[in-house]
Amino acid sequence: MIINVNYQRMDVEIDLNIKQLFSLLKCDLDGHAVAVKQQVIERQKWASYQLQENDVVSVFQAIAGG
Amino acid sequence: MYKDNLVIADRVFSSRLLTGTGKFNDQKTMLSALQASQSELVTMALKRIDMQNKNDDILAPLIEHGMQLLPNTSGARNAKEAVFAAQIARQALQTNWIKLEIHPDPKYLLPDPIETLKAAEILVREGFIVLPYVHADPVLCKHLAEVGCAAVMPLGAPIGSNKGIKTADFLEIIIEQATVPVIIDAGLGAPSHAALAMEMGADAVLVNTAIAVARDPIAMSRAFAKAVQAGREAYLAGLGGQSQVACASSPLTAFLEVE
Repeated sequence: MIINVNYQRMDVEIDLNIKQLFSLLKCDLDGHAVAVKQQVIERQKWASYQLQENDVVSVFQAIAGG
Repeated sequence: MYKDNLVIADRVFSSRLLTGTGKFNDQKTMLSALQASQSELVTMALKRIDMQNKNDDILAPLIEHGMQLLPNTSGARNAKEAVFAAQIARQALQTNWIKLEIHPDPKYLLPDPIETLKAAEILVREGFIVLPYVHADPVLCKHLAEVGCAAVMPLGAPIGSNKGIKTADFLEIIIEQATVPVIIDAGLGAPSHAALAMEMGADAVLVNTAIAVARDPIAMSRAFAKAVQAGREAYLAGLGGQSQVACASSPLTAFLEVE
């Protein structure tokens, strides 16, 4: 299925959950956050939250800042 | 023994210097500077990851060094974006502490008071410990405390300007009226600025640019730590009053006059 992650089109397996998406992106879980269709998804739900066709996913990371 | 700690919400800090993690040349320098500052609370930002060019992980080393994290909502231009950024930060860093900053204008980065108050009310209701970055506006600071903010962070001068305390008269009013800690944020470009803020009775200061862009950020961190401590001690000791006319420190007896 096709999803959009941070403005990039990705072709991924059906039933991909957020935790699996992180491993696909080679991202650590710590220091990151996810929103799907502008709704922030709680970390505890990442393993059970299944992404849907055409989902718009935003992945954020903690960085240095003042 | 009496400990002069800084208390914000339910946390106790022995350092009154908060430090930002931005603008350092490299991670090693940043970590050494933070350690030299003795800061316990450091700010972080959030960004959308760049899929091609991922950022280094700075979180793990900060936690290893025992730092407590204060994420900010930098980049938010209105209350809605700030609330979203705070929710993102809570999930990313697993903290409900948030430095609320909303600055729609990229040139001066001045905080939007209306949107800040709006966002603060929402975030407090959602269980965040809110520390809003604001202009040195005593009325706004009172409102922010009333809606439940854990501290207020009025500016000394625009972010990153290093101009020092240009808002002194208004900061004095904010400090006098404060029911929550007052943390002077933004514009402090030299340790003397931080010392002055503390002498005025600020509860803490937040410094980033002045340390990060110094020729020797580690030494500058140490200098800020000393200045904050000196300023605080001076405030607690009680500064003498100012006068328009001289007031002799030695007795003015006429013992040299010839009889």
